[in-house]
Amino acid sequence: MTASTPATLDVEDIHKSFGGLEVLKGISLTARDGDVISLIGSSGSGKSTFLRCINFLETPDRGTVRLSGEAVQVKSGRKGAAVTDERQLQRLRAKLGFVFQSFNLWPHMTILQNVIEAPMQVKGLSRAEATEMAESLLAKVGIAHKRHEYPSHMSGGQQQRAAIARALAMEPQVILFDEPTSALDPELVVEVLGVMRSLAEEGRTMLIVTHEMGFARDVSSQVVFLHQGRIEEQGAPEQIFKDPTSPRLRQFLASHLH
Amino acid sequence: MDLHGFGPLLLEGVLVTVEVAVTACAVGLMLGLAGAVAKLSEVAALRWLAEVYTTLFRGLPEFLVVLIVYFAGAAVLTATIGGGTYVDVPPFIAGSLALATTFGAYATEVFRGAIQAIPQGHVEAGLALGLSRRKIFWRLVMPQVMRYALPGLGNLFLVLLKDTALVSMIGVSDLMRQADIARGATRDTFTFYAIAAVMYLTLTAITTAVLARLEQRANRGVRRA
Repeated sequence: MTASTPATLDVEDIHKSFGGLEVLKGISLTARDGDVISLIGSSGSGKSTFLRCINFLETPDRGTVRLSGEAVQVKSGRKGAAVTDERQLQRLRAKLGFVFQSFNLWPHMTILQNVIEAPMQVKGLSRAEATEMAESLLAKVGIAHKRHEYPSHMSGGQQQRAAIARALAMEPQVILFDEPTSALDPELVVEVLGVMRSLAEEGRTMLIVTHEMGFARDVSSQVVFLHQGRIEEQGAPEQIFKDPTSPRLRQFLASHLH
Repeated sequence: MDLHGFGPLLLEGVLVTVEVAVTACAVGLMLGLAGAVAKLSEVAALRWLAEVYTTLFRGLPEFLVVLIVYFAGAAVLTATIGGGTYVDVPPFIAGSLALATTFGAYATEVFRGAIQAIPQGHVEAGLALGLSRRKIFWRLVMPQVMRYALPGLGNLFLVLLKDTALVSMIGVSDLMRQADIARGATRDTFTFYAIAAVMYLTLTAITTAVLARLEQRANRGVRRA
C-alpha cells in the first residue's frame, strides 16, 4: 500500500456534547483495510457515542469522518453541526455496517426479509439476487434454517447473528459493532463472538466497542482505551493488555480481567 | 313482515351508509396520518397547525360540523362560482367530508401514539443501512404502526359507522333516512326502526370480524404469551 492511498476509515477530531456535558473531547482514529480495532473503556467513557458519530446516528459537533477519502459533508449552523447532503450520507452509510447492542431487527419481517431489505431498497438488487446472497450469509452465521422465522421466535444470540448477516448483506467496507454481546445471556455470547472472530479472520475491517477483554486481546490488531471522552492509550493488544502505561488503563484492566 | 315495497329502498340506504363510512374513513385516515406526522414534526408551525386541527374538531359536536360543512360550503360555492344562483355542495360529499374531518382529528392522536411506540432503534437500523427516511417510514415504521393503531382505529370506525346517520339530516339517502321515509309513508314506526337497528348491528358485526382479521395480519411476528 502506498502512502497516498486513503485509509478505509479516517476519523478526525470528533467532538460531541449532550446539553452541557462534553462526551467526546476530540477523538481521532484511522482504520486501514483489514484492521480490527477494539474500543474499550468504562461506561460513560464515550465509546458508544464515538461509534454512533462515525455513521452520524449522532451528528458530531465538530470533526471529520472520511470513508476511503470521501468526507461526510457537514456545515455548522446555529443549532450545531448539520449534514448538508442527505443523499451522500445515505451512500456512505450503506458502506458502513452497524451492529447494535439490542439487534434492532424489524419485528414485522422474517429473518430473510430483514436481510434482503436494504440490498433491494438501497442497492436495487432483484429479489432473487438478494435472496441468494442472504441465504449464503445466513448459512455462514449458522441460522439458515431460521430464515423464515420472525425475530421474536429466536434467541438473542440468533437475533444478533441475523443482524450481523443483515449488515454483511450490504458488503460494507467497515463494520461497526456497538457492544454486540452486552444484551446477551452469557451462554449465547460465545456464538456471536465466534461469528465475529471468523469475520476478523477473513480480513474484514472492523471497529468493535466491547467489554469482552479476552476477545479484544485475541482478535484485535489495535486496541483503543477511552477515558472521559479522550483516547487515553492505544496500541497493539499485547502492549495494551500486558504492558499498559496509563494508571487509569491499569486500573480499568484490573477490574475487567479475571 | 310487510315492508310495503320499501325493501329495495332500505337496501340502497345500507349501501349509501357503507359508502359514506368508507369514504369518510379513507379520507380521515389520510388526515389522521398527516396530522400525526405534523404533530411529531420538527417544524413548529406544523405542530401548531395540527394542534389547532385536533382541538377544533374534537371539540365540536359532529352534527354541527356536518351542518357547517354543508351550509358554509354552499355559501362559498354560491359566492364564488354561483354567478347569482344558489350552488350547494352535493350532500354526500359534504357529509362524508365532515365525518372525515372529525375522524381524522381523533385518528391523529391514535397514529401519534402508535408512531411513538415504535422503538427508535428500528429507525436507526434503517438509517445505518443507507435507507432513505421515506422508505424507513413507509416500509419499517408504518407496518408496525398499524399493529398499534388498529384497535384504536377500529373503534373510531365503529363510531363513524353510526355517526353516518347524521348525514341523513342534510338529505343523504342513507339507511337512517330511508327508514324514516318508509316509516313516514306507512306509519309503521316499529317495523322500520327495528329493521334499521338490525342493519346497523349487522354492519357492526361484519366490521368487527374484518377488524379481527386485520389485527391478526398486523400482528404477524409478534409473540403471544
